[in-house]
Amino acid sequence: MKVSPYQAVSISAALLGLVLLVAAVLYYVFKSKRSRETPVYLSGEGEDVVSMIVPSVASLYWGFMKRFAKSLYKALIEKVHTGSLHDWYKFISSWFGALLLISILVYLIYALPALLR
Amino acid sequence: MIDLVKAIISALLFPGLLFITALALFTQYLVRKLSARYQRRMGPSYVGPFGLLQTFYDFWKLLRVKEVVITKYSMVRASELLLLIGLSSAVASLVFLPLSPLNIRSEFDVLVFFYLASVMPLAMLIMASLAMPGPYTSLGVSRLLSMATISEPALFASILVPVYLATRSGPRLFMSIAESSAMVPELWSNPVTAVIMALCFVAYIVSLQARALYQPFNIPEAEQEIIAGFETEFSGPLLALARLLHDVDLSISLLLGVYVFLGGPLPFRHLSPLGVVMLTVKYLVLVAIVAYIKNVMGRYRIEQGLVQAFKYSLVPAALAVVLAMLLP
Repeated sequence: MKVSPYQAVSISAALLGLVLLVAAVLYYVFKSKRSRETPVYLSGEGEDVVSMIVPSVASLYWGFMKRFAKSLYKALIEKVHTGSLHDWYKFISSWFGALLLISILVYLIYALPALLR
Repeated sequence: MIDLVKAIISALLFPGLLFITALALFTQYLVRKLSARYQRRMGPSYVGPFGLLQTFYDFWKLLRVKEVVITKYSMVRASELLLLIGLSSAVASLVFLPLSPLNIRSEFDVLVFFYLASVMPLAMLIMASLAMPGPYTSLGVSRLLSMATISEPALFASILVPVYLATRSGPRLFMSIAESSAMVPELWSNPVTAVIMALCFVAYIVSLQARALYQPFNIPEAEQEIIAGFETEFSGPLLALARLLHDVDLSISLLLGVYVFLGGPLPFRHLSPLGVVMLTVKYLVLVAIVAYIKNVMGRYRIEQGLVQAFKYSLVPAALAVVLAMLLP
């Protein structure tokens, strides 16, 4: 069934609503109604061992910012911002070299055939 | 009227809620059985023939029998609703695959598909976890978000590039999954596009492993290390929903791989007997690859996981994007 992108979004949204309705009815009909309240699970410790129960936004990205991005940043400052002009020149010229190569490649693929035609 | 009936069948029966739930539970059974064989165990064996109904019984037990354990901070109803939205969103995305009798095709339908099948379930899972707060949950969600920052763009690019390559010229609808699926043999037979396809396939497999939270990327749930990570506070019916969402998500990602990289039922016609066999075989091959990687690797630490996901999924995917853009 070929449709426009707008119709595709509308149809899928309507189907999402239908599935949600049916799934919710089935879930609430069949689910166990029993529940039990306990303290927050902290491996046997009391709640006072943690400062907050809900994390801050910064701590949600702890793994990415403090581990991964920090290693990239460290690599950058150790290789580029070492204080030596020679290191900086080597880094910048290698990147400019790569960019130059890409631009020549793009020129050869796209512009040259058009000019020769 | 016929289209309305087809739409309802597509959403609720085949390949909708009923079929995808059955497929997800069967896939989970296969992963568990294969994992057991790798570890010289029997795996599920007693419930149903060859233990086939074990995953269904596990789901049913959590849903019907087990109680929900809550704390004074829990927002159970919000969490349930978010998981149900995530599940419905994943199921609704199936109408864009050629498997659906409705099979909606439009320009850029791959973007709608990706939003429904990938972004929404992940976002809903994260919000549902945060609605049941706890320190271990927070740690798990933090790791989940960190992994998703690398693996989701890689998965997106690895799917986008083959669809772009297949539909960039000719009378086909631009960026349509169903239309690109028919072009897969041509993409693999051309040496230039085959290299790009291979890069995308590697990126897809690695990011799929991260998305499924299987080794070596089972960092967000990191059983024992951080209890059960993002699903520590889930129990009873809520845990059943979270597990079902995970399994459905994995099955849809595998089906997507079957269509985008392996051409669906090709060389046979869609929904012909041989086509169904071919589709099943290709699906099982992908399940076997996922189960193999899961069982031969150990868990990375978060920083190792991020670096490896960057190297083996984001870099090949980015390279494939650059190469695809360079093609005339």
